[in-house]
Amino acid sequence: MTSLISKKGILATVLFLMVSLFSAPAQDMRALMGQSLSRLQNPTPEAFLTCIAELKRIDAMFPDQVAPKYQLALQSLNFAVTNPQAEQTEGLLAEAEQTIAALAEMPAADLSDVCTLRGFLYMTRIVQDPARNGQRYYLDVIQNYEKALKANPDNALAQQLQEKFNEGMAQAMR
Amino acid sequence: MKKLLTLLFAALAATLQVHAQTRIDGVVSDEHGPLVGVNVFVVGTIDGAVTDTLGRFSFTTARTGELTLRAVLLGYEEQTLVADGARLRGLQIRLREQAASIDEVVVTASTYSVGRSSQIKTLDALDVVMAGNSCGDVVAALQVLPGTQKVGENGRLYVRGGDSEECQTFVNGMHVLVPYSTNVEGNAQRGRFSPFLFKGMSFSLGGYSGEYGQALSSVLPMETTDVASSDKFGISASLLDWNVGGTKAFRRSSLSFNADYTDLGLHNALFPDRNDWTRPYRKLSGEAQFKYEWDNGSSLKSYVGYDCTSLGLRTEGRELSLVEHNAYANATLQTTFGRGYRFFAGVANSSVFSDIDDALVRGDHYHNFRNEVHLKAEIRKSFSAAFKLSAGVEDYVRDSRKQYDATGYTLDYNLLAGHVDAQVRIFRTLFLNLSARAEKASYSPAWVLMPRVTLSFVPGKRFQSSIMVGRYSQSPEDDCLARGLGRLGQSTADHAILSLQYGTNRTVVRAEAYCKRYRSLPLLRDGVYTPDGYGYSRGVDLFVEDASLIRNLTLTAAYSFNDSQRLYQDFDAPRTPSYASRHNLRVTAKYGIGKVIVGLADTYASGRVYQAGTTPFYNSLDANVTWLAHPKVIVYASLNNLLGRTNVYRIDTDGTPVSESRDRFFYIGIFVSLKNSKAYDIANF
Repeated sequence: MTSLISKKGILATVLFLMVSLFSAPAQDMRALMGQSLSRLQNPTPEAFLTCIAELKRIDAMFPDQVAPKYQLALQSLNFAVTNPQAEQTEGLLAEAEQTIAALAEMPAADLSDVCTLRGFLYMTRIVQDPARNGQRYYLDVIQNYEKALKANPDNALAQQLQEKFNEGMAQAMR
Repeated sequence: MKKLLTLLFAALAATLQVHAQTRIDGVVSDEHGPLVGVNVFVVGTIDGAVTDTLGRFSFTTARTGELTLRAVLLGYEEQTLVADGARLRGLQIRLREQAASIDEVVVTASTYSVGRSSQIKTLDALDVVMAGNSCGDVVAALQVLPGTQKVGENGRLYVRGGDSEECQTFVNGMHVLVPYSTNVEGNAQRGRFSPFLFKGMSFSLGGYSGEYGQALSSVLPMETTDVASSDKFGISASLLDWNVGGTKAFRRSSLSFNADYTDLGLHNALFPDRNDWTRPYRKLSGEAQFKYEWDNGSSLKSYVGYDCTSLGLRTEGRELSLVEHNAYANATLQTTFGRGYRFFAGVANSSVFSDIDDALVRGDHYHNFRNEVHLKAEIRKSFSAAFKLSAGVEDYVRDSRKQYDATGYTLDYNLLAGHVDAQVRIFRTLFLNLSARAEKASYSPAWVLMPRVTLSFVPGKRFQSSIMVGRYSQSPEDDCLARGLGRLGQSTADHAILSLQYGTNRTVVRAEAYCKRYRSLPLLRDGVYTPDGYGYSRGVDLFVEDASLIRNLTLTAAYSFNDSQRLYQDFDAPRTPSYASRHNLRVTAKYGIGKVIVGLADTYASGRVYQAGTTPFYNSLDANVTWLAHPKVIVYASLNNLLGRTNVYRIDTDGTPVSESRDRFFYIGIFVSLKNSKAYDIANF
């Protein structure tokens, strides 16, 4: 009996190992993303760039998944908005624009998230060059955040970004 | 049991093997040298590195054995290497620049994009409002662009030596029969549409693709904004007009309305002009829009607008009285289906009723009714990054009735058209647009076939050059058709354009040379129009826009040289049309100081040739100020022709110079948003 249990236990262990090693892509993806995003606990520009590079690799591993694309665009924009004049920013914004466009084409993508990212992209463009891009993009920022909150009133990121943007607008016009 | 244990240890061994280390390093470059920022990684892992300023990378991976290494950089073709991990040291990776996809490359030759677009932008809706001499009029604002002619007596768009009728307007791809409001000669007509209706405009001065027809010189396609995301309500008031508008936003749709009343009575009382008005210019207009978006990106847009214009003028011993009703409606549907097919269908109706008493002599009466139904369907598909195809059909059904006392005519005809456009990437930087359009008008037995070719060299985002050649056609005006039926066919114009353009974020330089040959223009001989008219127009347009010299200062300069001659209408010999001036120069400056934006514009045009003489040159220095008084309040003021020069627009047959009804024009308006979450947004519609 004991021997039988042991056999079953060993079999279960082997199966668990096989499954965990070879067939848990969603868990793998989450683990990898968690590992990558944990670099941002110390959010230096270098940590952002490393994280973004890793997220690109994760996106290449899981091209049909929404989460890596969302995080890739979001962290690229986070880097760009905090380092608007860095030499990497222009390239990252161009990539973020492409990633958001790809995300918008995915049936599983959340409309509210896509609109939030779009609004964030235009907002970053304004931060880069307020004098020139402010007039050009401010309506896009507002409309995208409004669309995001219309699709999902509980979208916390959209709420925060909208609030930040309104504060910035009020300051700029003071 | 043994087998199970063996399997377990094998799996554990595989796990342990993962923890072995393989070092990978090398340099990534392109044909110009080392590349910074390349993401080099082992496929299927997050192990990798980003190249430094010398193109170097170095990292370790837990994987061993045969590895797939990938190098990725935006704008470059990705490079993949498959090799044993031990051999991935001291690598020299060479990346090739990626050829742009046909969907990414936008050929901007001969086209000025206005509003949201990936193309080089020159104006947006606020720029239109703040343009030195526009007073919020799209048509006037577009006249800062090269290739347009200053024709002050009616304010319409005249492009590259072409008549104003040769420029056609489209809203969401659908034709607008009469895009201008009416006025008497010597007073500028305004465009019928507010710039805030549109998210984008692409003003093409020639060489446009097969989608657009019935325009010999240029097209102005305008795209209305998408479904509104929030409610709006606002009012505006000025010396001339009063406006109220609003939008109700729903989850997937929005409904908008706008009403406007224009009355020059107050303005004429404060700033009298040379006209003897019996009834000042008055216009009452109303517009409504409904838009709906589906989750799959499909959209329905509909627009309906109506305006009624009336005025009375005492002139040459008679009391002219004009009333015009103009209604326009369109509805369009855009959707995608199958594997990336995009389908467009639209319907539009334009109706214009004009009545004039004492039009030419005391006691006469003139009546004109024009109607057009435009139906259109188009399908598009990008088959690959190097090939895109679109095809469409459209039909214009036109009806016109004119009565002047006892004489008049009734005209009905139909115009069927089809087009095919193919865009091909020939090489990495060479793009070809081949299109063909065929049209058959019911008043003529012949089909008109119009091939059009554009070859573009686009080596990067900053520079592009294009050669465009194509044939364009247009039905003669109703008056000509009515007096030439059975003889007249469609008029044609062959365009050849060479375009060079350089642009950065803050500077745009563009130079274009063009040549147009007109054929089958209506020519009046013995009281009947024949298709024997012809002509040419050639010239050079130069445009510079710069925002890099001083912070918050944007400068533009547009110069056009035009040499044109034609034999048409009642001309007895080929000559330069009276609307064409040889040299046109416009210089504008816009400077922002805090909440105030100041604009200056100077327009110069050389004299225009009439049979009785040549007009002096035209010059007008215009200024405007926009004050962002409050997030919900904008105040705008402009003064045209600061120097007060009396510009002469025409020389009458007896040699009398005819000038504009007033030398200066002052405008002041206030725009208030009563319900709008957006600051400084005067678009309520």
